[in-house]
Amino acid sequence: MMLSFLQDLFQQDFMLRALIAGIIIGVMAPTIGSIVVIRRLSFIADTLGHFSLVGIAVSLYLSTLGISIFFETPLYLGLTFSVIGGLLIELFRRAYKNYKEISMVIVISIGSTLSAIFFSLAKKTGSLYQYLFGSILTITNFHLLLIALTAILVLLMFLIFGKQILSVSFDETTSKFLGINVGLFQIIFMIILSVVVSVLLDVAGVLLISSMMIIPVAAGMRIGWSFRSTWIISVVFSELSIFFGLWASHAFELPSGAAIVAVNVLILLTVAIVKRIVIRRQMVKMDKLK
Amino acid sequence: MLIDIRNLSFAYGHRTVISGLSHTINPGDFLVVKGKNGTGKSTLIKCLLGINSVKNGMIFFNGVDINYYRQWTKFGYISQDLDGFNYEYPLTVEELLKFSSVTKKSEQSYLRLLDNMGILEIINQNINSLSGGQLQRVFIVRAMLDNPEVLILDEPTASIDRQNTEFFYNTINELNKKGITVILITHTDAFEHMNYTHVLNMALDLTTSIETRQVEEGSESS
Ligand SMILES: Nc1ncnc2c1ncn2[C@@H]1O[C@H](COP(=O)(O)OP(=O)(O)O)[C@@H](O)[C@H]1O
Ligand SMILES: [Mg+2]
Repeated sequence: MMLSFLQDLFQQDFMLRALIAGIIIGVMAPTIGSIVVIRRLSFIADTLGHFSLVGIAVSLYLSTLGISIFFETPLYLGLTFSVIGGLLIELFRRAYKNYKEISMVIVISIGSTLSAIFFSLAKKTGSLYQYLFGSILTITNFHLLLIALTAILVLLMFLIFGKQILSVSFDETTSKFLGINVGLFQIIFMIILSVVVSVLLDVAGVLLISSMMIIPVAAGMRIGWSFRSTWIISVVFSELSIFFGLWASHAFELPSGAAIVAVNVLILLTVAIVKRIVIRRQMVKMDKLK
Repeated sequence: MLIDIRNLSFAYGHRTVISGLSHTINPGDFLVVKGKNGTGKSTLIKCLLGINSVKNGMIFFNGVDINYYRQWTKFGYISQDLDGFNYEYPLTVEELLKFSSVTKKSEQSYLRLLDNMGILEIINQNINSLSGGQLQRVFIVRAMLDNPEVLILDEPTASIDRQNTEFFYNTINELNKKGITVILITHTDAFEHMNYTHVLNMALDLTTSIETRQVEEGSESS
């Protein structure tokens, strides 16, 4: 089974494309995800995904009217809306300082309502499934290029502003005393996160984007001993889940996004259980020493 | 730095917490802000640091209105209970200090500061495995990265054991002796080992009073 998977991987264009996209996303998703976790914004990818969907729905609706903006690729308007959603969240976060999660509920509500309305106006509710769950197997060369460009953007962001972004994420209040323009970096991060979410929409779907970003980090946090080690572990988990997810999807004809997330969840559970056992053993040892 | 607070009032919604406070802090002063829980000590500090926005009254730093002030690296701040800091995510002391060193001034100074604080050996430890005293020292190092002119500590001894408290007091006294203005918030009376110059008393009925310590010549405590 594994052998035929590996054969297909290198003989079939779409499989190879999926693998390359997967490898890139495998690094990018948990990298952005770790900042999201540190900022305690784990629901943000869901929120932005819902808002991005509005752009796609509007784009589909406009094309039924014969209006095409951005070359009829719904992704562009999706990206635009994702960024708008990100900026709205930042705005509401400042208005509700002590109840920051409210901002996400507001944006997610606007997002779901408008998407439902425009999808039905466009008479395209049938294509909703694709946007809710996505598929890494059906991506085009063009989309692969977009994913690669986004990855470069994320890489540049961390190379140039890594310190500032980490400072602001770990501690909003005192970062300004380190000479950082806090508001500016919150917005830079939000814009890049929005871009990542909209680019992942076709691959993971609205419902699974946040799982790909957050779950590997949640598993990495349990065994990492530093920021760096936690990041490396999450990337390894993320890559494993993509490879075995693709395999499971190929072997059992499962939807690819769901298969990847299922592997992610399995890894998380294994880590949690193994850690429990290790801690218990250590406690038993310590008891004996006494 | 000269800090001039003029007729400052502050309220959360309809609840007034500070009413008509005026005080001038001169460069090199060591001010203790004392008062029971809930008297508005942290609120005052947050006004001073531009975290709460000041609408009634005015605050000036070297003559610049706080609402237009930009050079915040001149302040080192350690918040009460490190509130706002996410110290649950895995992070080592060195990683924290590295990404906190953003300006030219602060680059590489953390090694020397850690050494001065006697905690160079914990540089690779995870911050959530540190004792209260160690954590406090790491955050003093972080606050000192840009050689601030003013150091502000909100209830810094709350989570430290007695032995470390003494070390902590000496450290702060040393820094003040080097010319750094210190503002220290406390709800206890246990600050007699500090070489403070003024005490600002804050009470629940919103009244405030200032005591200036009379330092006799040659009474340098050791
Ligand atoms: N963000 C806030 N919103 C509303 N009320 C607050 C807030 N922060 C503090 N308070 C209230 O203001 C009063 C003063 O609080 P605080 O400045 O923290 O006092 P202290 O530091 O002296 O213990 C308290 O009654 C507290 O409940
Ligand atoms: Mg307080």
